[in-house]
Amino acid sequence: MPLLTMEGISKRYGGVTALSGADLEVEAGSIHAILGENGAGKSTLIKVLSGVVPADEGRILLDGKEMHFASPAAANAAGVVCVFQELSLIPELSVADNIVISNPPMRFGMIDRAEQRRIAEAALARAGASDIHPRALVKDLPLSRRQMVEIAKALARNPRILILDEATSALTAADVGRIYDVLKRLRSEGLALLYISHRMNEIAELADRCTVFRNGHNVSSYDQGTRSDAEVIEMMIGREYSAAFPERAPVPADARPVLETRNLGWNGRLSDISFTLREGEVIGLGGLDGQGQRELLLALFGVLRGLEGDILVAGKPVNLTSPAAARSEAVGMALIPEDRKTEGLMLPMSVRQNLSFAALDRVTRAGVVDRRQEQQLIDEMVRLLAIKTGGLDLPVGALSGGNQQKVVIAKWLMRAPRIILLNDPTRGIDVGTKQEIYQLMRKLAAEGAAILFYSTDYDELIGCCDRVLVLYDGRIRSELAGEELTEHALVASAMNLDDSVAETTA
Amino acid sequence: MSDFQQQDRPGFVEAFKRRFDPAVATAFACIIVLLLIGSFYSSNFLTATYLIQQMKVAAFLGIAASGVMLVILLGHIDLSIPWVLTAGAMMACAATGFGPVGTALAVPAGILTGALFGLFNGIGVAYLRIPAMIVTLSTNVVAQGLMVVYSGGFSPQDSASDAMRWLATGVLIPGVPNAILVWALVAVAISFLLGRTAFGRTLYGIGNNERAVYLSGIGTRRVVLLAFVLAGALSAFAGVLLAGYASKAAQSMGNAYLLPAIASVVLGGTSILGGKGSYLGTVAGVILITLLQSILSVMQMPEAGRQMIYGVVILAMLLAYGRGPRSV
Repeated sequence: MPLLTMEGISKRYGGVTALSGADLEVEAGSIHAILGENGAGKSTLIKVLSGVVPADEGRILLDGKEMHFASPAAANAAGVVCVFQELSLIPELSVADNIVISNPPMRFGMIDRAEQRRIAEAALARAGASDIHPRALVKDLPLSRRQMVEIAKALARNPRILILDEATSALTAADVGRIYDVLKRLRSEGLALLYISHRMNEIAELADRCTVFRNGHNVSSYDQGTRSDAEVIEMMIGREYSAAFPERAPVPADARPVLETRNLGWNGRLSDISFTLREGEVIGLGGLDGQGQRELLLALFGVLRGLEGDILVAGKPVNLTSPAAARSEAVGMALIPEDRKTEGLMLPMSVRQNLSFAALDRVTRAGVVDRRQEQQLIDEMVRLLAIKTGGLDLPVGALSGGNQQKVVIAKWLMRAPRIILLNDPTRGIDVGTKQEIYQLMRKLAAEGAAILFYSTDYDELIGCCDRVLVLYDGRIRSELAGEELTEHALVASAMNLDDSVAETTA
Repeated sequence: MSDFQQQDRPGFVEAFKRRFDPAVATAFACIIVLLLIGSFYSSNFLTATYLIQQMKVAAFLGIAASGVMLVILLGHIDLSIPWVLTAGAMMACAATGFGPVGTALAVPAGILTGALFGLFNGIGVAYLRIPAMIVTLSTNVVAQGLMVVYSGGFSPQDSASDAMRWLATGVLIPGVPNAILVWALVAVAISFLLGRTAFGRTLYGIGNNERAVYLSGIGTRRVVLLAFVLAGALSAFAGVLLAGYASKAAQSMGNAYLLPAIASVVLGGTSILGGKGSYLGTVAGVILITLLQSILSVMQMPEAGRQMIYGVVILAMLLAYGRGPRSV
């Protein structure tokens, strides 16, 4: 009998289905890898298993007994412990304090410091990190050491099932080696390990069994080593093109360069980024989530401090120190931000006020808003983007997600920008609005705008872009265009696999 | 949010409904209730003379509250009102000691003093990123120290200029004291600023979502700085008028204005977290606080009791409006 069985797990967030009828079986004493694209449902599965979110449907069986985890604490008590990729440590407390934080040893109603230290030392040793002092403050440790403390913290809870969600992404090569040893030892102790990673070589090294997820459910489980990388990628993609994309004309060879970067770097998160974006061109940014795409867009828009390298606009070097500088007449840049609710809109304010916000300087005379001119521009935008509102004076938060996104785009189009940076603009919006946004992008490009477009959806990148830069670990891993721009090539590049894999399956 | 007139489409009732703010309506309802209660204690309470007298008293508070409202809309706070107000009054009076030129410049000198303290607040909050509570509290103490040094700890001997007296106690339009007129002018200016200018829009924007405003390419720091400068200038202007009313400045003249100024903004429905509120509400809040003070003194409530009642009323209003779900 498997140690853990998940049966028919479904989970919806509002109208979005994250999991539908997912199954998983995990044996004790094995390392089980879970693979899948962005949004395939891996994270949601882990959240359901570790009690962070409740499932809408389905059962979780542990040793054949049905379990209901109402909270992470309940899951921990049953022996399911998760090491999340977002670090959960409290920086101002010591390593030992953090390790025992959920259940500190008590003596006469007070924390037993000696016992706490003993538990912490044991846990750190078990995690292969006995070089970390239990009394050190977490904030003084580098990121990779903190990740080790995170693992020790999980082990201090004596798990039967340990979930590692991208737990190695912050580790140095030396630490990764040690972690491998630790994980193999834990396996021999009879633990079940659920291992989520985007790094195929780690999975090849560690996993006993793999399950591939796609579109919210498991498509295949197999023993590690019985499938080739190409077959695995096939399983991860394996879907039909669902979207129709507008026709695009090739960019003329003599199109003027509008935006260039030379060896752009930032804080270890971006390095050596060089590309040229030309008039009328749409360049896509691909790769797995969190490989530096957002940072690149923010860097170009003047949000990040301490950039290395050069940015050139229309051939001239520019020093963009704020969004105000980036949107100025000389540069003419616009950024459609990632999260419309926290970065794009002021939800309680009216549609009208939101629409004209980025172009207020264009519709004011001596600081006073010229309402007639404002209305003209707004009418134009509402027509161009077909924004559906119950009235311009309603709060923008009352609109549907797709219409909110249109307001964010419209507020920038009002400035008629020459360079448009789009940060995953179609996330969480309906198919119809997506189509409208694709059309709009091609229309703007045809009118001469230069567009840099980050998307987590590979179809979109293939359908909308003239070229795609695939980022991996803050660097441009490859550039794909024309015939090479296929889903196989995108996924293979994103996973940092050899190009030959893509070719054999194409 | 308030002053958005619909010239181009029908539906006056709709427009009215949308602009109808329950907090403002409640504040006005409370004013009526207070007037009724007051009329039980004294038959003078509903006479024109008494009401005009109350509006005149309210004007000083109203001007100080106008400034702090700008800051509260940003989601910040200005706790430096008491001594910035006093400093404005003292510096205006001090200017009269410099002959006719000084006398002529007394009012601008007072306002400028407040603007400088406001600049100090604004730099601290917008550029040094210190919480407004800390910066403005420090400014208050620094202003106090400077004024004690200036006056030697006693009320200064210089007296208010004729212009200051005229602004506070003169009568330009028969029956309407100038102080009320000055407040009305400030009210029109602030309403215009909030409803019709890019600066006003940006104030509301920052109060709602500063990050979105910054990413819209707007220099948020300058807007925050300017709001604090205006708040300081208006506090000091209230002090200048008060000195004109009393003919001279006094050490602790500002102490009675901090809580009432903030309370009247909040009672008028402006969110203490920023981003929401109308000037009409602040007017209602100011009148409400002034009447409350007046009734408490008619009832011969001791000072301690008044303070407690302020506190309780503010808490009650915050419970009623401050914690409601966001309108979205």
